Amino acid sequence: MPRITVDGEIIEVPDGRTILQALDDVGLLMNGVDIPHYCWHPKLSIDGSCRLCQVEVEGIPKLQIACNTSVQEGMAIRTDTERVRKAREGVMELLLVNHPLDCPICDQAGECKLQDYAYEYGVEASRTREPRRALKKNVDLGSTIKFDQERCILCRRCVRFCSEIPGTGELRVFNRGDASVIDVHPDFPLENDYSMNVADICPVGALTTQDFRFKIRVWFLEDAPGICTGCSNGCNVHIGVANNKVYRYVPRRNDDVNDTWICDSGRMSYKQIGGGARLKEAGVRGEAGRLENTGYEAAVREAAKRLRSMIEEHGADSVVVLASAHATNEDLFTLRRLSDGLGAGADGVAVVQGKSDALLIKADKAANAAGARALGFGPAGPVLDRIRDGRAKAAIVLGHDLLDESHLGGTEALEGLDLLIVLDVQQSALHKVADVVIPVRHAAEKYGTLTNHAGRVQRVEPAVEPAWEAWSDGEVLTLMGQALGLEGFEDGYDPAKISEWMSERVSAFAGVHLRVVGDQGRPLPGERA
Amino acid sequence: MVISDETRSKIDAEIGNFPQRRGALLPALHLVHKDHGYVSTDVAKELAEIFEINPIDVMEVVSFYNLFYDRPQPRHHAHVCTNLPCSLRGARSLLRRLESHFGVRAGEATPDGKLVLGHEECLGACAYAPMMRVDDTYFEDLDFEKAKTILDGLE
Ligand code: SF4
Ligand code: SF4
Ligand code: FES
Ligand code: FES
Repeated sequence: MPRITVDGEIIEVPDGRTILQALDDVGLLMNGVDIPHYCWHPKLSIDGSCRLCQVEVEGIPKLQIACNTSVQEGMAIRTDTERVRKAREGVMELLLVNHPLDCPICDQAGECKLQDYAYEYGVEASRTREPRRALKKNVDLGSTIKFDQERCILCRRCVRFCSEIPGTGELRVFNRGDASVIDVHPDFPLENDYSMNVADICPVGALTTQDFRFKIRVWFLEDAPGICTGCSNGCNVHIGVANNKVYRYVPRRNDDVNDTWICDSGRMSYKQIGGGARLKEAGVRGEAGRLENTGYEAAVREAAKRLRSMIEEHGADSVVVLASAHATNEDLFTLRRLSDGLGAGADGVAVVQGKSDALLIKADKAANAAGARALGFGPAGPVLDRIRDGRAKAAIVLGHDLLDESHLGGTEALEGLDLLIVLDVQQSALHKVADVVIPVRHAAEKYGTLTNHAGRVQRVEPAVEPAWEAWSDGEVLTLMGQALGLEGFEDGYDPAKISEWMSERVSAFAGVHLRVVGDQGRPLPGERA
Repeated sequence: MVISDETRSKIDAEIGNFPQRRGALLPALHLVHKDHGYVSTDVAKELAEIFEINPIDVMEVVSFYNLFYDRPQPRHHAHVCTNLPCSLRGARSLLRRLESHFGVRAGEATPDGKLVLGHEECLGACAYAPMMRVDDTYFEDLDFEKAKTILDGLE
């Protein structure tokens, strides 16, 4: 490992890396050592075109670009000298020669690197009187992205992204020299499963997403760390929140999970959190055959009461349990204990299957499918068979994923039940046949952990509060456990404590729980990475 | 197929001259230009198949070079050099007068589709400034009358 000196500090860095890469590897870039840069991106190939990252390297007369200069033993770098500052000013002035300066109407304002560095290194007045380049504004590159060609500083991050990450290569540089522009060919629009990432990596307001632009100024947003629940990859996201409302997901870097990317459908899945499809009222089916809102806690107690009388009449093995792969490990550990405590006849989990690719997208369309399986929830088929052949009379069902898997038979499969208790985040056709429905929290509204496809346990925490009464599944199940007089539910539901308990009781989770996984997650003991 | 069999076999012969298949894209573009005068989207798609690249790779190269076009062109290209030596010798006023003679701005084609008037950077004929390029031919030591006669005389 070569040792280099940066502004007088000696640091040890990995070999065979460029200065920016090496500083990024050791976590110092923009976090102790500030070297402004536009074209370089940690997850893309090196371009070396913006020239903003120039630094002084001892023994080399000219300034060198930090993004493409390899580190060597004994190398001494200065990032804070007058020469470096002058060079940055020069680059900024050049970039601003053609920039339209429409920050007041630009949606990037507030998270724009051009704004930031112009503020730090820019000159106050323009020295050019020539007209600025007049180019395309407000064009659709595809269905997800808007493009403002005038704002583009030609860093080519978006071009490299499209050809290197999804490999679709829609965005290109057309023409040459000072006539260069980024564009798509009209016959081949920007349409791929990861297209919206270009808006995140564009340092300026040239690329913005159709979905987020002009919804809110970014300085009103608070960032909460979260996990995408779209599939079992468990991509890390920043949840952008204002006034208790989620406005967007943007990727949160996690080199072990999603690098700096998320897929488009995952990005849009934030809409489920506040969406109109949320289940907001608890309901108990009354004499008249209609679901009546008797209050939240009363509904949970009623569920427990009806469950108890079913058990008294038909025995505990007439009860079956279906877990949701959207619930947290802690919710599901509580369900596991409930199912075992009752001596339920069968339990399992329904996981919706969808498309997958070699990049991020996984076939299991739920964030905690692996967690559910690690907690012993097998396939849903045998559970439904038990209902169909009449052995099961009562069911506790979390979520409605079984409806999306046609081979499981939909609501008809549940018709033979005398008691159906449903806990769900969203409304579904299940509620037409359910006897008790109880709204529960989304993963962005509670503490807990999710286990991704590779066995990495990642933390979620509340980014928003539901505007209606809703507990987490674990809380509801705990109250039911108490009402049924089962053991192990006396202390209530504290996700951190439950998590720790789970890591002691379930060997798959040994040593891994909410308090120790941190913001980058931690692999289960049986997993390598 | 938009590319003729004859051109296709010439392209195949060119491919043999390069260590990498896609290296022959430039000669191939010259060949299709000779046949069609420009590279249409269909031609780009066929070239992309031949070179095992995306059609947009072809279009990117086409846009990079001034002498490749992505749409049908007027019959002639007349480009006045406006780099420094030519400008010092009156290239800019020459271009301006040609613009008003033909009633178009530099970069535009005449309505009859006869020619597109434009300007260009140094073509290496500075000793004979000002100069213009008409299609593949240089015309040097120009003044407005000379240039006008040349361009008016085009078919
Ligand atoms: S559109 Fe944005 S990311 Fe793409 S080259 Fe321009 S500034 Fe860079
Ligand atoms: S790959 Fe999966 S986890 Fe990642 S953003 Fe997409 S849906 Fe979400
Ligand atoms: S970041 Fe180094 S040249 Fe752009
Ligand atoms: S400047 Fe016109 S030919 Fe060189």
